Amino acid sequence: MIREDKNDNGQLIQGTVEMLVLKALARGPMHGYGVAEWIEQTSQQVLRVEEGALYPALHRLELRGLLSANWGASDNNRRAKFYRLTAEGKKRLDTESSRWARLSAAVAFVMQAS
Amino acid sequence: MAKMHEFLLRFKALFAKRRMDREMAEELDFHQAMLREKLLRQGVPEASVEGATRRVFGNPVRWHERLRELWQFRTLENLRRDVYFSIRLLRRSPGFTAVALLTLVLGVGANTAIFSLINGLLLRPLPVPHAEDLAVLGMIQGSPTPRYSFPAPFFRSLERRHEVFSDAFAFEQNTFQVRGNSNNENINGQYVSGQFFRALQTPALLGRTLTTEDDVAGGNPAGLAVVISEHFWRSWFGGASDVLGRKLQIDNTMLTVAGVMPKSFIGANPLQLSEIFVPLSAEPILEGAHSMTAAGHHGWWLTVMGRLQPGVTVEQANAALLPMSMPILHEAVPEAAWIARAEKQHFRFTAEPGSKGFTYIRFTFRKPLMAVFAMCGGVLLLACLNLASLLMARGAARERELATRLAMGATRIRLIQRLLMESLLIALIGTMIGLAAAPFVSRALATMLMSGGGARAVHLDTSLDFRVFAFAALAAVVAAVLIGLLPALQATSRNLHDHIKDGQHATQAHERRRVLPKAMMAAEVGLALMLAVGAGLLSTSLVRLYRTDIGFDPKGLVNIALKTDKQALDGEALLGLYKQYGETLSHQPGVRSVSFARTVPLSNMEWDGDYKVAGGSTHNSHVNSVAPAYFQTMRIPLLEGRDYSWTDTLTTGRKIILNQTAAKLYFPGRNAIGQNILSDPDNKSYEVIGVVGDAKYDDLRTPAPPTGYLPITQNEVKGKPSYTAVVRVDGPAGPLAGAARSIAAQMAPDIPAPVMRTMESVIDASISSERVMALLSVFFAGCALLVTGIGLYGTLAYATARRTSEIGIRMALGARRAQVVRMVFRENSIVAVAGSALGLVAAVLASRALASFLYSTSARDPWVMVVAVAAVVVIASAASLLPALRAARIEPMAAIRHE
Repeated sequence: MIREDKNDNGQLIQGTVEMLVLKALARGPMHGYGVAEWIEQTSQQVLRVEEGALYPALHRLELRGLLSANWGASDNNRRAKFYRLTAEGKKRLDTESSRWARLSAAVAFVMQAS
Repeated sequence: MAKMHEFLLRFKALFAKRRMDREMAEELDFHQAMLREKLLRQGVPEASVEGATRRVFGNPVRWHERLRELWQFRTLENLRRDVYFSIRLLRRSPGFTAVALLTLVLGVGANTAIFSLINGLLLRPLPVPHAEDLAVLGMIQGSPTPRYSFPAPFFRSLERRHEVFSDAFAFEQNTFQVRGNSNNENINGQYVSGQFFRALQTPALLGRTLTTEDDVAGGNPAGLAVVISEHFWRSWFGGASDVLGRKLQIDNTMLTVAGVMPKSFIGANPLQLSEIFVPLSAEPILEGAHSMTAAGHHGWWLTVMGRLQPGVTVEQANAALLPMSMPILHEAVPEAAWIARAEKQHFRFTAEPGSKGFTYIRFTFRKPLMAVFAMCGGVLLLACLNLASLLMARGAARERELATRLAMGATRIRLIQRLLMESLLIALIGTMIGLAAAPFVSRALATMLMSGGGARAVHLDTSLDFRVFAFAALAAVVAAVLIGLLPALQATSRNLHDHIKDGQHATQAHERRRVLPKAMMAAEVGLALMLAVGAGLLSTSLVRLYRTDIGFDPKGLVNIALKTDKQALDGEALLGLYKQYGETLSHQPGVRSVSFARTVPLSNMEWDGDYKVAGGSTHNSHVNSVAPAYFQTMRIPLLEGRDYSWTDTLTTGRKIILNQTAAKLYFPGRNAIGQNILSDPDNKSYEVIGVVGDAKYDDLRTPAPPTGYLPITQNEVKGKPSYTAVVRVDGPAGPLAGAARSIAAQMAPDIPAPVMRTMESVIDASISSERVMALLSVFFAGCALLVTGIGLYGTLAYATARRTSEIGIRMALGARRAQVVRMVFRENSIVAVAGSALGLVAAVLASRALASFLYSTSARDPWVMVVAVAAVVVIASAASLLPALRAARIEPMAAIRHE
């Protein structure tokens, strides 16, 4: 559903993925696959982040200093890159989620109007 | 903040490319593996897991690429790629690269070398604190040019006043005779006044500096002190730690070493290296009868400088000196008539900026150096024009490639960046090599230029400092821009379609566009012609200087300078010593004739006096004091009367020999022999016993002045004389040096070892600046012609190569080879002719600047112009011949097929 080649819908889509990723990592450090799985499951299989959107998003966030990354061992002892929220990232998550709340409330108002 | 972080991480990623790549691959692999496991768990059959994974995951390579892109440092990556490709391109055409580098090395290297000479001579300030607060004092009397040699009493009067200068000091270079193990040795040093070291604010390395207490009249009653240089301390005293308090016998006087100056200290004359610094007040003691201090206001010898009071500018100081001038004169000069004369001539003291110290040599070499610098600039400009044309020509050959790139989406700016990188690379490498070579070149040049000093060691510090680096960097940048921008702009400017369609076919548009490179080549030819004309003029002038009639025969003539002013003998005994020395020398193998003279022509020794005929007006003449057989040794013709003999002593009456100019001056129209001439003002009468031919005295350019020759047997100058032996030898003069030294050591063991110079080297030294200028101008002109030739050849070769198919068609349609050759030749001939015409006009206008350097050569000498034009024509023809011949050898069918 969220495909990276629909980027012409622009920042909104990209921003949404990043927001979801930030939220996923608010619960603690995770590797990329884990983030995608968590989002899919928590959204009740509705939102599936494509790998092509996920990893660029993770790397972008890392570049911007919102995430920090370490290499560690996964549950089944494979080497994986774990991402974790930085203080900046936490702050950004808060702002993004309040913005999203305002946005979705506004959309709801419009759609509910008759 | 985020941007900063991004920048840093990207920068770090530059250095960890491979690791990042590996990690990205690993990350993606991990995800794929997890995905595979999930599918297996979900029950997808193993066979189709791979396919399913790929469907879900997509192309890992593509994601990897995208990730990599994220981390890229765009500008730096581009830069790196540009540099890499440029290097590859340059390596693929080694001939072009070599030529380009060579011309740039030449241009930038030569300019930097000359500039560091200019820097050392004219620009560099003294290495003392607050050099900008120093001022040089001068005197204006009569003429608007100030004189810089002060009499001692003037200085002492100035020294006492502190309104304008916190410190005023005087110094003068001198060759001291310092007693070594067996005899006296010539040591370079200076007399310095009491405030010298204080004004220059440089502490001593060991001990103390000289102070005002050392500089009291009559010498410090506690004993005369001397300060030595670090170099002297190491070479003379072997760096001994107990050097303070050791004694030196200088000019037969004992002085105590009070301090050692560090080797960074060079005094106030940047071109001299002094080994010892002696208090000024000791001068009368050391020099005895030769003392300049004792000559009072008749002896003009001291250089005077001052450190300005804080807050006082040089202009204010200059203004303040005006009202002080006459009071100082009244203090310093006892002769009222002299003061009155000075007042009438508006005598005044002046102050000029003195941060660079003071040296007379600046006056001699400023103009030649600037002229050489201008020539250098011309060569650099020529090199840049040449490279730009070559690059343009090469760019034209690449236009299909560039057009294709443009079509595939490259922006014009990127292409320009790429092309600019090539030229920047050439400019950088060329500059670095040039910069590396520059110090050697400038040191060699400095030695050549300054060898005119003779005994006085001249030291020019041509080391690279920030100014030279800045200059070289500027030259490189200008070169790069000149070379790179224009061709880059031009190569990427044309309509896309034309580029791709045309290929090798010449069209009208081509011809139009080629005006700019042709104009540049024409300008280059013009420049080369100008340089050739300059070289021709300077070398012609030099040849004429050498051929000028000196009045004596310098070939086989040798001067041996003896300094007997500080040894024990005097009067008759000293004369006898010289006579004996001369006789012993004359028996050496190869020696034809020996004599002595007080001054040597063309070596900056000057002695003049006022003479008059009874009842006539006073004229100034040059004077020399000579031994018998002088004229015979020098091969100056004896026109009338007789030469001196050893029996012509004072008891037989004062005698003089005049040269022809003097005889005509004092005795116009009549025979001078037997007449009497009187010295002014003491009215001594001299009988003229001979008239000799004219000989040059001061320098080669000035015509021979009226000269009177006094006999050494009648020496009346105060103090012990020192004469130079003048020897005519057959064959090599080398062995004579050893003989001269050993004879002197036997007969007069005290005196310093005699210094031998051939007359020819004296002459060479007297015109060293002319020689160097001629040499350099010929060198530059040669390089300019060569570079222009290569440029003409290169551009024509490229142009012809591009017209291969056109030429093939012409030949297929019946054009003969000769016609083809003519057609190709014609391309360059227009450029050459236009350039020569331009260059000739410019040369005629510009050569006026050289007029002051030329000797008996007009700045518009037609022969020089003709030869220069001929040289350019020959070069242009030779350059055009090869491509033309190659064009003629084109096989029509192959050419048409060749795209």
